[in-house]
Amino acid sequence: MAKTRLVKGGVAFFVLALFLLPLLASLAFAFQSGFSAEGWAALWRHPQLWPSLWLSLATGVAGTVLALIAALLIVASLFETRFWQNLSVAMGAMLAVPHVALAVALSFLIMPAGLIARIIGLFLQWQTPPQWVTTHDPFGIALTLALVLKETPFIIWVLAGLLSREDVKLNFANQRSAAFGLGHGSGSVWLRIFIPQLFGNLLWPLVIVFVYGATVVDMSLAIGPTQPPTLATIIWADINSEQVAHNARGAAGTIFISFSLITVLGVAWALTKTLKPLWRALLTEGPSTWKVPTMTGQIKHSSFIGIYALLLVLLVVLSLAKSWPFPQLWPETSFHSWGQISHQSGAVVTSLVLAFTASGTALILLVAWFETMPHHFDRPLLWASLALLGLPSLFVGLGQYQMFLYLGLTGTGLGLFLAHLLPVMAYMMIVLAQGYRAYDLRYMVTAGSLNASLLSNLLRIKWPMLKAQIWAAFAVGFAVSVVQYIPAQLVAAGRFSTLPMEVVTLTSGANRSLLAAFSLLLTVPPLLVYGAAALMGRSRWRHT
Amino acid sequence: MLTRRSALRFGAVTALSPLVSNFAFAADWAAVEAEAYGQEVFFNAWAGSDAINSYIAWAGDEVSKRHRVKLTHVKISDTAEVVKRVRDEVKAGKTNGSVDLVWINGANFKTMKSEKLLFGPFAETLPNFALVDVKGKPTTTQDFTEATGGMESPWGMAQFTFFADGEKVPKPPRSMVELAAFAKANPGRVTYPAPPDFHGVTFLKQALVETTNDASIFARPIDKANFDTASKNWLVFLDEIRPTLWREGRQYPKSQTEITQMVADGELLIGLTFNPNEPANLVAAGILPKTTVAWQYEKGTIGNSHFVAIPANARAKAGAQFVANFLLSPEAQAKKNDLKVWGDPTVLDMAKLKPEEARLFAATAVPGSVSLPGPAILEPDASFVPLIESTWLAHYAEG
Repeated sequence: MAKTRLVKGGVAFFVLALFLLPLLASLAFAFQSGFSAEGWAALWRHPQLWPSLWLSLATGVAGTVLALIAALLIVASLFETRFWQNLSVAMGAMLAVPHVALAVALSFLIMPAGLIARIIGLFLQWQTPPQWVTTHDPFGIALTLALVLKETPFIIWVLAGLLSREDVKLNFANQRSAAFGLGHGSGSVWLRIFIPQLFGNLLWPLVIVFVYGATVVDMSLAIGPTQPPTLATIIWADINSEQVAHNARGAAGTIFISFSLITVLGVAWALTKTLKPLWRALLTEGPSTWKVPTMTGQIKHSSFIGIYALLLVLLVVLSLAKSWPFPQLWPETSFHSWGQISHQSGAVVTSLVLAFTASGTALILLVAWFETMPHHFDRPLLWASLALLGLPSLFVGLGQYQMFLYLGLTGTGLGLFLAHLLPVMAYMMIVLAQGYRAYDLRYMVTAGSLNASLLSNLLRIKWPMLKAQIWAAFAVGFAVSVVQYIPAQLVAAGRFSTLPMEVVTLTSGANRSLLAAFSLLLTVPPLLVYGAAALMGRSRWRHT
Repeated sequence: MLTRRSALRFGAVTALSPLVSNFAFAADWAAVEAEAYGQEVFFNAWAGSDAINSYIAWAGDEVSKRHRVKLTHVKISDTAEVVKRVRDEVKAGKTNGSVDLVWINGANFKTMKSEKLLFGPFAETLPNFALVDVKGKPTTTQDFTEATGGMESPWGMAQFTFFADGEKVPKPPRSMVELAAFAKANPGRVTYPAPPDFHGVTFLKQALVETTNDASIFARPIDKANFDTASKNWLVFLDEIRPTLWREGRQYPKSQTEITQMVADGELLIGLTFNPNEPANLVAAGILPKTTVAWQYEKGTIGNSHFVAIPANARAKAGAQFVANFLLSPEAQAKKNDLKVWGDPTVLDMAKLKPEEARLFAATAVPGSVSLPGPAILEPDASFVPLIESTWLAHYAEG
């Protein structure tokens, strides 16, 4: 008994000391600057405050809803077909593409001097690009499109992880045969039986998607509206400024957008509550033969793969394009950008070591936490994680930097590691918590009654059943670590060179070819890890 | 070993300070040099250009060879990051700061200077400072009208410059009025970056200078009321040019580099830059066509200088001064001026150099170099910037 208490105490100590406390302290330091009356006054005076807030929220909501619909349609159409096994691998590959890379490639596809315009121009004999408003459109349509493209694979990935769990699969198979027996069509089964059950597990991932979409800066700069821009980019510019007054306005803006996001989430929650009786009426109204629109789902799935393949090819070509004036269909190529990248091997190694240690540590801490702490203790960790992910990373990063300054951790390897651990663990917490907690404990009870030790039951029963989710969480953590820029820049004071640091500084010169090459390079490590995770997560009992 | 080192040091002193006559001055500098020996200098500098990074790496090799000073380029994407980092360090009482030398000018310098975050004055004690053309290039001691006061050492020159494909723009517009006429004839093919982008603000300053009758107002601080009076013609001009701009002036690119990309793609006709040699660089890199031309306005365009400064809490202040002095040496300035290396114009006065040193700077016209130069106009007082930004934003807030 004393031993268990010691283990529990140890787990709690490490999770608090390495994650929750530094996170809360960072937030406290960061928000300190948000309590200046001048900052708030300046924010209210900003002539673009309301239109830009509207743009941020609208693109966030539209991106989330559209991505959810697309993901559900694809999953329902492909579930247990021959495409199903490879779905996770395909989605993992898509997840590995950095947001900004996707935005750059998509932008080159649809912009007035882009590929589509060149192909049309070939037939219409255009010599100058058309004056289309396809990127940077004032309504944020291009930005929403980019968000849907990037977030749909994430939602599918989460759903596929859930649906590949043996316990879930078994339940669903039973429920489905019962429903079919009662005369339900496949669409009716998904809408009335599967989706309501899945929804609980989708809640946090959807919140992340929304918060991310409404606060994204790099994608918005690459493809989003500019006049007014989204509120997140205004805040980002303010926080970046060397002027203390602008920083204060940026801090006030951060608090303001955070409350706006919470308000939207609250409204969404209230809506689901009010709509529930209506929904229930729909659910209980006799069986319907409505089928899943399989064709639409499969076409959607294929077009996603097609678009991603096209965008990746475009990135490769762009990385080789020295100059590519309109209306040429093929650029003048050179390996210059790749030559520049070949000097960065040290940075690559640092980034990989950091990614492995940070996501490995986070995984051990989280699993230990789930195994020793009661379910309701997760709440503070989840909320803190969500706060970290929803706030601009520079804002949190500056708070963290001030805290590390007082602790004497700036410019040290330990500081760099801890700064990577925070976002990595936050993402992994959100990805892993629900799946891990939803595990049907009866399996363990059964195993326990067979007198095996707890550890052996974990190793032989529980973890193998959860391995898809555990590996998925590791892959997400790895991918998050690889793209962290702020920690290397601020906390490590530029003493350690990491891959994103080289990327961000070199691409501040906005050389599109170099940006494309680096984006591809940033895609590779997470791509390998997602691929490995998808393979490792495959069912042991798969017969195909 | 010791003697060889001393000889090396002595050699370096004589090579780098040809004009030192004052003995005490030389003795002070000798002390700085002695302290600098073997120090590691963390140079925080914008790293968005391969050419610039290679040049800094070269400078690092040189100071290491000459004086065992280890120059580490801390690559940054925005100098404001450094301002914030130093501010926080000083606030936290950290004396061995993370920054020894920073590449800086304009608002970042003014902020650091006024918040007492800088070490100095040191610039004028650098032996090579005597070679700087402070009379002919007044911006080497006036950074956006803020007196440098020796708190930063000049490194290079900049002047607002336009560029285009000479085949598409045979007669470059050489004033804002001509630019407006060009935009009218070629609707949707000209634009400028939205403020607070630095190049966007400079474009607006240039327009303000050209539309204001009384040029004397720019040398002094200005308040909102006076600005509103002085900027009447400016707003008329902006309203007039706006519907002829890219996207009818409802959206603006976010940066100068984005505009450069759009010029290279063919979506825009005219690009702008602060480095007069950037178009030639881009031609050499194959990004812009060989038919590219660069020009400045007939009556002049806004010019300024860029500098290096030492934070108040730097660890290696002596090493940083040694590097700053090396960066001012004729050899380093000539190398930087070379279009094949970086193409950043020198701050030195050719008349103060030995003939063989001056010869190093001889430039031949290459595709994309400035063919129609204009005089440099001093930056308006720093108080204009927030007023330009807020007036523009209030006017065009909703696209």
